[in-house]
Amino acid sequence: MEEVVLENVDKAYGKVKALDKVSIEVMRGELFTLLGPSGCGKTTTLRVIAGFEIPDSGRVYIDGVDVTFKKPYERSTAMVFQNYALWPHMSVFDNIAYGLKLRGYSEAEIKRRVGWVLELLDLKGLEKRYPLQLSGGQQQRVALARALVVEPKVLLLDEPLSNLDARLRLRVREEIVSLQKKLGITTIYVTHDQEEAMSISDRIAVMDRGRVVQVGTPWEVYNKPVNYFVATFMGRSNTLNGIVSERVSEELYKVDVKGLRLYGIAPGGRSLSGGLQVAVVVRPESLRRAGEDEKVNVIEGSVGRVSLLGYTLQVRVDLGNGVSLTAYLPSRDSVVVGERIRLYVSPEEVKLYPAKEVDLELQD
Amino acid sequence: MTRNSVSAPLKRLFFLLDAPLALLLAFTITMFILILVTPLLSVLLGPSLRVSLEVLEGFQRYPYLAWPPLGEWVIVSDRGDYKLIIVRLKDLGVIPNTLIVATTVTLLATIIGVFMASIVARYDFPGRGIFRALAVIPLLYTPFVNAFVLYKVFGDGGILGQAMLSLRLGYSVELTHLAGVIVAQTLMFWPIVYLNTLAAMLQVDPSLEEQAENMGARGLKLFTSVTLPLSLPGVLAGSGLVFLFSMEDLAAPLAFKVNNVVSIRIVNSIIGARDIELLGVEVAILAGALLLVALTWLIVIRTYLSLRHYAMIVRGGRWQPRVFKPGPIVYALIYLVAVPLLLLSMSPQIGVLAYAFSKSWLGVLPSGLTLDNFQYIFRDDMVVRAIRNSVMYSAAALVFIVFMGIASAYFVNRIRAVGVSFLDFLVMSPLVIPGLSIAMGLLLLYGSGPLKGTIIDPFSNPMILIILAYAIRKSPFTTRAVYAGLQQVHQALEEAGMNLGATRTRVLLGIVVPLIGLNVLAGALISFVYCMTEVSVSIVLGALKPDQAPITYVIFDYLTAGYGGGAYVHVAASIVALILFVQVVAIFTTNYILKYRYAFLGL
Repeated sequence: MEEVVLENVDKAYGKVKALDKVSIEVMRGELFTLLGPSGCGKTTTLRVIAGFEIPDSGRVYIDGVDVTFKKPYERSTAMVFQNYALWPHMSVFDNIAYGLKLRGYSEAEIKRRVGWVLELLDLKGLEKRYPLQLSGGQQQRVALARALVVEPKVLLLDEPLSNLDARLRLRVREEIVSLQKKLGITTIYVTHDQEEAMSISDRIAVMDRGRVVQVGTPWEVYNKPVNYFVATFMGRSNTLNGIVSERVSEELYKVDVKGLRLYGIAPGGRSLSGGLQVAVVVRPESLRRAGEDEKVNVIEGSVGRVSLLGYTLQVRVDLGNGVSLTAYLPSRDSVVVGERIRLYVSPEEVKLYPAKEVDLELQD
Repeated sequence: MTRNSVSAPLKRLFFLLDAPLALLLAFTITMFILILVTPLLSVLLGPSLRVSLEVLEGFQRYPYLAWPPLGEWVIVSDRGDYKLIIVRLKDLGVIPNTLIVATTVTLLATIIGVFMASIVARYDFPGRGIFRALAVIPLLYTPFVNAFVLYKVFGDGGILGQAMLSLRLGYSVELTHLAGVIVAQTLMFWPIVYLNTLAAMLQVDPSLEEQAENMGARGLKLFTSVTLPLSLPGVLAGSGLVFLFSMEDLAAPLAFKVNNVVSIRIVNSIIGARDIELLGVEVAILAGALLLVALTWLIVIRTYLSLRHYAMIVRGGRWQPRVFKPGPIVYALIYLVAVPLLLLSMSPQIGVLAYAFSKSWLGVLPSGLTLDNFQYIFRDDMVVRAIRNSVMYSAAALVFIVFMGIASAYFVNRIRAVGVSFLDFLVMSPLVIPGLSIAMGLLLLYGSGPLKGTIIDPFSNPMILIILAYAIRKSPFTTRAVYAGLQQVHQALEEAGMNLGATRTRVLLGIVVPLIGLNVLAGALISFVYCMTEVSVSIVLGALKPDQAPITYVIFDYLTAGYGGGAYVHVAASIVALILFVQVVAIFTTNYILKYRYAFLGL
């Protein structure tokens, strides 16, 4: 069942279109992520849901009720702000109790509920402190506690990890997911970090320049990107320029990349005509060393730079025709700079996008 | 697709504000319309209905225009063992006099102000800290008496002439009439240019200068090609204010006995009139002209004046501004020109104290240390009542100021809606609008027509309008302080509150105001001091009913009554000394307790 629904939401600041017909449906109990580069509209979307912005057109529903023109304090959302927005003049207890006081709970009830959430977030003993006396991680948890204690219908998280250091980020990320599952609270999570998005989300909406480009599970978004933007935004990828030489079957095409012949597919059910300029997208991890007998979709070149990233070996391969690409090979492989190397990529891993579409997408 | 209806902008506004805030904003705007906009419109439009050819022709005759000019430029008289050189300048009539004085003063004040600011901003010399601290002193308000002190220095039988005599140079110089006004106003007003220029220079990103140096610019070239152009907005804002202040100034013409300037002309004829019908249409036109000049300037420096621009100044200065060790020439300029000039410019404040604590001041030095003057003023019913009036009016105005300041600063800072930049413009405009034009407008609007004889009629009951005019004229200082505070409060702190169920008003009272309390307090203190020292409206409206007059009117009255100096200057100076004391206390409070610097004086 849908908890939050956005219907054709438009929002412009002057001439800049921040949101362009954004429609999303977030299910009850789901952890839904808005993912995209800065300026893509993800935070604006979140603020529209919270009620800090009203759409120029379109509708917003929470739990089936049209809240488009409802004020922030008339919606049952609770937001954790990027900078936490803890009130510096109030103690941890007062910060957390603020929403409860507004709801007119008795003193005892407030104490009980704050106690519960302090326990939940491992904040016991800090309730008399002031925000400036807390570490970044603690501030983050207080902000989360303040939002959770009012038992909102929807929890909104705006890049909640961006102010934490790398090590803490991983831990808090896991904590948020387990807490969300434990409480079963509908959560909308904003981030620009695709790895973060993939690791925590039930579903992801990828946004680009005010539009929702693709909605799906992490697996779908990563493996079945609907367009060039999603394909290149999620993970690393090589983009080569090619020309369609022939349509082999319903989905399969043969392309020419400066003399190199590859089989690839056109995602999203597009049909490409022969001679069409296309962007050929290949992920570094879909390349592997080719077997002796493999003849099709083999890329041959000389090894350029080699960097050991730990979990993988990043190899730059120069194809000799002015084209080069990056491959991830197993860390224990030994690769010598300058040696000839043969790589194989399966046709399903070679994705073709019409160059015109790509140009449009890259226009700003 | 569902378009969110035709009333979207209105809906949006109601969405952004809740009722109490909307009411407060409406109240603020209404106040500005009633006390500022409408009176100014009546100054601009009212007299034009009564203008005739005859009136316009009148402007071509004395006293408005004197051709050929009257009097002498310079008088040299032989006094036996020495020559007395009296520089006075010819009288060209009210309008040319005013323009010549204002232009000359602006030029001189700009040169001095920029020179002083450059020295402080870019050179590290022994005594720089003291120099900076002392440079604040000339900005302390010493209504009217400042010019009388400068008359004592430069004028007839002044300290300058007497000092030259005692040096036996064979000649002696006195500055009187328009020449005296120009010198006095220059010394009074250059610190305004200085302060604005300094603020702008400290704001210039050091890397911009370093880049120019890196490409080979240095010294004067660097200054004229990078530093000065980048500080130009500050320089212009300062010079523009000086031009307006000079046109509006009453003190210097009064002290140097010049009647033929616009400001004196306006005040004299209003004080002479007991009814609006007796007010000459020429005077109303002069007030309108004054206003037009101010409005022109206001539009030119609009961006510099706005709250949003001010916010940039407040945030700036995070970097360390560049300072250099001066070379021999700069050292000479600092100690032989800048320092003496600064000391001379402090003479009004020093002179106020000298007058206040002395029995007489006839020679070079005052004589007879005494507290009699203070005893005298506290026994004088008129003075005591005026002090009480001033404190009461300022306090009452402050209530309005705080509410209006919070409302307008909050709105400009937080609400993205149509008309915000206009509101910004409106609430900051009193910084530049001449008080004499406002006073004239209030007289025209509320002293005649349907409101004549009502409780608000200034001829029978000026108190109400004085309070409201104080509130409008001095509100920008509080508005600006509140705005600066809001800059420091991240918007998310409010959104977090609303998100948890608090209304905007509740968030404002429970979260924002506690966080910016010190800013509100500092701003209110500044506004209070400026209310206490307000001159134009106080004199014009105070004169209509002396028992309701504030303290600045009494100072003015003492000085015009004791024309030419004498004991009354000592009495007036002791009142001003009290005002000085209040200002010093306020500055110390804002600077050291509230940690709120540089916003106190100037623009």
